[in-house]
Amino acid sequence: MTQMNPAVATFVEEARELIEGLEAQLLDLERDANADAVDSVFRVLHTIKGSGAMFGFTELSRFTHHLEEAFDRVREGRARIDQRLIDLALDARDHMKALLDIGEDGDGAASLATGPQGSGLIARLAALVGSSDTPTIAPDAGQGGTTAASAPERLWQITFRPARNALRNGMRPDLLISELRDLGQLLSCRADVRDVPDLDDLDPLASYLGWTVRLVTAEPRATIEAVFIFADDAELAITEVGVEASRVPADITDPAPPAERLTRQADSVGETIRVPASRLDEIVDQLGELVICHARLEGLADRLGNPDLEALSEEMGRLVGSLREATLAIRMLPIETVFGKFRRVVRDLSAELGKEVTLLTQGGETEIDKNVIDRLTEPLVHMIRNAVDHGIEDGDLRRQRGKPVRGTVQLSASQEGGEVLITISDDGGGLDAAAIRAKAIARGLIGEEATPTDHDLYQLIFAPGFSTAANVTKVSGRGVGMDAVKTAIEALRGTVDLSSQPGKGARFTLRLPVSLAIIDGLLVRLGADTFVIPLAAVEECVELDDVERHRASGRTMMQIRETLVPWLDLDQVFARAPSGMARRRLVVVRCDGLQIGLIVDDIVGQHQTVIKTFSAYHRGVEGLSGATILGDGTVALIIDVASLARRAVAEARIIIEAA
Amino acid sequence: MPRTAPKDAIAETQALTLLVFGLAGETFALPVTTIHEVIDPLPVTPVPNAAPHAPGLINVRGIVTPMLDVRLRLRMPPAATAEATRFIVLELLVSGIRSRIAIEADAVREVVEVDPTRLEPVPELGARWPAAFVRGVARHDDMLVVLLDPDTLFAPDADRPAPNA
Repeated sequence: MTQMNPAVATFVEEARELIEGLEAQLLDLERDANADAVDSVFRVLHTIKGSGAMFGFTELSRFTHHLEEAFDRVREGRARIDQRLIDLALDARDHMKALLDIGEDGDGAASLATGPQGSGLIARLAALVGSSDTPTIAPDAGQGGTTAASAPERLWQITFRPARNALRNGMRPDLLISELRDLGQLLSCRADVRDVPDLDDLDPLASYLGWTVRLVTAEPRATIEAVFIFADDAELAITEVGVEASRVPADITDPAPPAERLTRQADSVGETIRVPASRLDEIVDQLGELVICHARLEGLADRLGNPDLEALSEEMGRLVGSLREATLAIRMLPIETVFGKFRRVVRDLSAELGKEVTLLTQGGETEIDKNVIDRLTEPLVHMIRNAVDHGIEDGDLRRQRGKPVRGTVQLSASQEGGEVLITISDDGGGLDAAAIRAKAIARGLIGEEATPTDHDLYQLIFAPGFSTAANVTKVSGRGVGMDAVKTAIEALRGTVDLSSQPGKGARFTLRLPVSLAIIDGLLVRLGADTFVIPLAAVEECVELDDVERHRASGRTMMQIRETLVPWLDLDQVFARAPSGMARRRLVVVRCDGLQIGLIVDDIVGQHQTVIKTFSAYHRGVEGLSGATILGDGTVALIIDVASLARRAVAEARIIIEAA
Repeated sequence: MPRTAPKDAIAETQALTLLVFGLAGETFALPVTTIHEVIDPLPVTPVPNAAPHAPGLINVRGIVTPMLDVRLRLRMPPAATAEATRFIVLELLVSGIRSRIAIEADAVREVVEVDPTRLEPVPELGARWPAAFVRGVARHDDMLVVLLDPDTLFAPDADRPAPNA
């Protein structure tokens, strides 16, 4: 496809957001069907219909018309919000999304629109709300006609003057006016030509005209405003001039304040700016280069020992630091944006399984990097589906167990330092340790005599190909097991932990870094090479001499104060020749809720680090998660604490079992 | 150039521009379309536990670039860095992603144009290099130039054993 016209691209982007939002609005409506909520759904539909037609999405516009009409009937009290309408509206919303995704009018859109799904939905809508429209009739025919019958007609004066450069930006005043005409009866449309300059000074691409339109319509002000929703670089005034029809009840005519001027420019500018995510990525990349560049300056200042240069480097460091904070904050989105999707998942799934389940969310305002959110949706959906499918028991069983029939899945988020904590908990039956054990033995994951603790048993559900459901249902068991979830979380440099209480429920805890691109790192030395340990994972650094190695339990555990900590010598992990240094250091890191010690030759310092992910050649190398560039230009490797923790635990266990 | 060439052969018959370099006493070449730049050797950070053909990383002007060991894939003995040693930085699609990689060459000689129709298959006998990594042999100024196949030579997992199912 050729480059999309920017105006069309803007429409697609905004329509996508509207359709995304529509899902939550419909679900809200299901819970509380008040008039405002109905109006806001109606407005969204109307906007998509109007601007869709304007930007060449005729099929989308036509289809949306039917849904809009259904809600118009609700608004007028001629149809009721009920379960069936919400179900149908949600399906219709999905179809609208498909129509938007398939692009502007073409064979694809036409076949999707006339396909069985589209016409089926239209027919069901018509049957449900008693629309007079038959599915095949284009919206133009019915528009205004059916609604005008009941609502009073009013006379409006609309003054509209596009900004000078509006035409360059793709505005089509002719289409806007023709859309106004569709709303009712256009009494007059006068062009204001005062600003048109002499021919010599005329810029053919500039817009000099303004229009004054007098329109009789039964539609409310919001509908007229909606016509201009994408024409925001224009002056717009919508004034109600009078009530055309005489037999109007007084309470409805309450006129809007006269000559309410609506300058959209002032409205939108200064509050938000729409920026493509790729541009933000560029800025973050550049910021990363700046961080590296500053590290070089710092190294130079250290070497030269010039106090002026050191002061300058320090100040630049502060500036880069606050620029980093500010820039990364731009990419932060409240996690609510993804929580909203899950309401639909739980709703559809509980209906499918015949279970009553409520989804509670908490901490939706917690902010997290957009890139993390995008890659988090899939694993979270999977865990929530699992909770509803496997976790929550059938109504009968719940009653037997003395629990409320309606199960609860709770999703909560909070920030702790540089990490975001997400928990998914349910009040279902909890994990069945015996079933997991039997399965694990059957799959050869553990020996028949092994006696792992329940907690260790639970972790086996993260093993590849593991599924605890006795019957593979339609919902789960589609081959994306918990191991895929764990892999996805770890790819985000996060961890997932699981706890469960029989009969009470299970809880998954995810820890994720707030941002992916830049971290604070602890530089450590092994021989001549420098490695980076993410500072967020580091608990403390101790001299190795001060630590008493616990000889009784073998070589890989040592005692730090009261705790027994498994440790790894990084020389061994990375197959390096030992440095032979007498005094070495131990970096204690925490991961998956347990402590491990990493032995290094020395600790160099703390450092802002730009993470460069590995290429296909090095992805998956054990113990490493990526690389970064140090102040002196050399490449340093970033240690993957999570994979080392697993290794340390495994080694400690072998020693203990052998002992 | 023959004008009657079949349509799909036209691209093939355009002169092929190659970067010629020396490695273990032999003369090799890569299409210049894959070459990003030729640089002086840089310090290599070894990646522990990495596949032997991708032993390290270098910093090419702020871009962390994997350093590949072509000698290993071409079954040549390792060599120490010498005066004439250069790093060739390539830009090509690796697993569908445009990536930079670097290789070491004993010396970078010249850029030549060859007629692709005169590219000969590698002789069956005496070929020490795995055939999959070689596109053909070209003669240039009495010199035998081995044209390497960047698609196979730089594939991330060409000599890794297939993962156990």
